[in-house]
Amino acid sequence: MNFKQFTAIRILVIIIMAGFISWAVVSANIWIPIPVVIAAVVVMMLLRRRVREVVVDERVYSIAEKASLVAFRIFGIAAAVIGITLVALGWQSASDLYKIGLTLAYSACGLLIIYYIAYLYYNRKYSGKK
Amino acid sequence: MSRISNQIRRLRFDHGEMTQEELAQRAGCTRQTIIALEQGKYVPSIELAFKIAHALGVALEEVFQYEA
Repeated sequence: MNFKQFTAIRILVIIIMAGFISWAVVSANIWIPIPVVIAAVVVMMLLRRRVREVVVDERVYSIAEKASLVAFRIFGIAAAVIGITLVALGWQSASDLYKIGLTLAYSACGLLIIYYIAYLYYNRKYSGKK
Repeated sequence: MSRISNQIRRLRFDHGEMTQEELAQRAGCTRQTIIALEQGKYVPSIELAFKIAHALGVALEEVFQYEA
């Protein structure tokens, strides 16, 4: 199997998976997506093994790293600013705004903690320290 | 713009008109990476640079040049 065929099948699998998830949302059935997502992951893993060409290389990882950093910064800043704003707006009434704001603010904190732990790990890994 | 230039395109043709696909297979990367390298849009790691030089059968400095 070549890379073009693999890409075409991957798109088809994503479309089928999206269809099942849409159906699950419409029918309010949370048990549909679980086997579908597992089956899709297994199919993609099996297909990737059959591709003789290199599918992922260092350039793809480099792009993914840059995209992750941009996504982290945008989400982190947006979640913190919107979260604090919503907390401030719903502070006295303890409304849904307050709860949503807290969730966003805690998400931003969680993201920062994960980033810091990952940074420490990779900094130690690539610093030569034991 | 990167200060590292390369001669991949010329060396491919010197090497029996090797295709981008063939070079990618020999170097263990994707054809898109070879295209990006030839256009000067991507600077490879040392490891990939060595693999490309090895695939083209030349020394590393024949493929990549650093303009100080």
